[in-house]
Amino acid sequence: MRLRTKLTLFITLSKLAVVLLFVLMLPYLVEEIAFTYTNNYLQEQKKKVMQVIAKDGIDYYLQGEDSYGSYTMLKEEYISLEEVNAGFNLDTIETTQRVFEGTDTLEYRLLSHTFNAGNSNYLLEIGKTTATINQYNRPLQRIASYVLVALILLTTIIDLFYTRFLLRPLELVIKSKLVDRKFPFNEDPVPIQTSTSDFQYLDKSLILLMDQIHEAFEKEREFTANASHELMTPISILQNKIENLMADAEVTPQVQQRLVEMHRTLNRLKKIVSSLLLISRIDNEQFTRGDEVVVNELFEDVMEDISHRLEEHEIRFQMQLSNVLLKNCNRDLLFQLVYNLINNAIKYNKPQGSISVTDNITDPRFYTIMIADTGIGIPQDDLPTIFNRFKKSNLSEGGGYGLGLSIVQSIVQYHGYTISVESAVGKGTAFKLTIPQSAISF
Amino acid sequence: MKVLIVEDEKTLAYEVEAFLKKAFYVCDLAHNAHQALEMIDLNQYDFILLDLGLPDKDGLIVLEQAKKQNSEAAFIILTARGNIEDRVKGLDLGADDYLPKPFSLLELQSRMQAIARRKFGIKDQAIKLGDFSVDLQKRVVLRDTTEVELTRKEFDLLSYMLLHKNRVLTRIQLSEHIWGSFVDDDYDSNYIDVHIKNIRKKLSAHASVDWLETVRGVGYKIKKQD
Repeated sequence: MRLRTKLTLFITLSKLAVVLLFVLMLPYLVEEIAFTYTNNYLQEQKKKVMQVIAKDGIDYYLQGEDSYGSYTMLKEEYISLEEVNAGFNLDTIETTQRVFEGTDTLEYRLLSHTFNAGNSNYLLEIGKTTATINQYNRPLQRIASYVLVALILLTTIIDLFYTRFLLRPLELVIKSKLVDRKFPFNEDPVPIQTSTSDFQYLDKSLILLMDQIHEAFEKEREFTANASHELMTPISILQNKIENLMADAEVTPQVQQRLVEMHRTLNRLKKIVSSLLLISRIDNEQFTRGDEVVVNELFEDVMEDISHRLEEHEIRFQMQLSNVLLKNCNRDLLFQLVYNLINNAIKYNKPQGSISVTDNITDPRFYTIMIADTGIGIPQDDLPTIFNRFKKSNLSEGGGYGLGLSIVQSIVQYHGYTISVESAVGKGTAFKLTIPQSAISF
Repeated sequence: MKVLIVEDEKTLAYEVEAFLKKAFYVCDLAHNAHQALEMIDLNQYDFILLDLGLPDKDGLIVLEQAKKQNSEAAFIILTARGNIEDRVKGLDLGADDYLPKPFSLLELQSRMQAIARRKFGIKDQAIKLGDFSVDLQKRVVLRDTTEVELTRKEFDLLSYMLLHKNRVLTRIQLSEHIWGSFVDDDYDSNYIDVHIKNIRKKLSAHASVDWLETVRGVGYKIKKQD
């Protein structure tokens, strides 16, 4: 689940819980508020009555009678005043029941107060029904629920937008620093604008990490290039010396044979160095990508160079390719790529084996080319490492330096293609080259 | 033909000189850009072999200036730097060819010959090879008046051996000329044998090919014709 969704969900759920609690507590709260209000109200009434008595005397109410009583029409409130025993003393507010006219039982909040007026002790009772308070609870709960749920909805929508706004820099960091950037991170990273310090920290850390990777990569590449150059000059001298020596009239045939062996070893060194140099140049993007190449023509050109090798091993060759045009590529590199793959298919084939080259244009997203042989195959354990430098799965077969497939890999990556391999020992190997739709046209 | 070898690595310069002298070229040596420009100013050269990695100046600058003083000369860039830009720049500045180091001296001579034909209009006469005659311009092999059909690669191979006749050419030297020095990682390739076998088969249908000799353990050689 996305962080944004999680955050919003959590906030909404916690809000809901709080609202639920509030709605459930509402009757108690209302009661509490009502009680406080009623108590205050009763106290106020009491004060008024006492003021009147203090001013006009108790007879203002009693009018010569023993007691006074009055209630509102529906008996929601009532007041009574009567003489009580001198020792009786009361000053309370409580909830109690009163019976009216024999049948009508009502619950009241009742203030009782005794006071002296003249020579007598009087009890004042002021009551107010609690029913009038409690009857509002249900509708109050309902309205509160509606209002609060509506508020939750509104705030959830705001939360959604806000978390989205808040987390946007994170998405940008991930997109610009991790998803969109291609190894070896050649272009300078642009820091993300954000006021959230955590994201700034993340962004900075990623930029730093990438710089380190880039630097390490640069160093390796520079080393390979420099080392190759430094090695080329001595190789050059040795090669030319051997060539001159071989033509020397004083050199006997025996010595000449040994010179050839030396030349062969030197040549091997030369190829390793140039292969490393080539890989380093491809990785360093020293080749242009401005060519357009027709797939079947490319393969035919390669075959013109290499087909004589088929005869030697009596290998059958089948090719079924479309007229697909590869755009924005480097022809020399693609030639090398195809050459290496077909050369391997011949080299690691069995006598009288076969090679088939086919392509597939049915998938609208990818164009694939398959180069399959019926050769000795590659053990399953070796498959993940065959593209690594100096990994050679068939050491006993001789030839090759384990760089051919590394070159293939570099060229494939350089063009933004992918390559995969399937193999079964004793049955053969198939390389599948996958080219994205954007890199071809018909 | 007069050649100036501009190369700071002296041992290498001497090897190139020794080889070219044997092939009857007259050679001068320069070990830095300053020397080279001075000599180009004083002498007329047919070929200037130019290393790009010179100690005092970039070889491409030498090329630019030398072109003004000795525009007739053919320039061949020899370099271990070998990056694509150098190659493109060099050819843009008017270099006639470009050989990445390490190169074969035989290949160098073959390139020089090709330039001589192209640039100086030097016409080789048809070369006699036993009962055959080889026309390098028209790229044909004739037995009297009948043409012997050879593939492009077979003809390249034959003319390369012919250029270096009386000298044993190893399989490496031959395959490097035919397939380039890089693409193949089969250092012990015997594919040259297949081609030689085919050349022998095609030619021997018309006349003897005993001038094409196999030197055991070394390679092939075209014997000197009298």
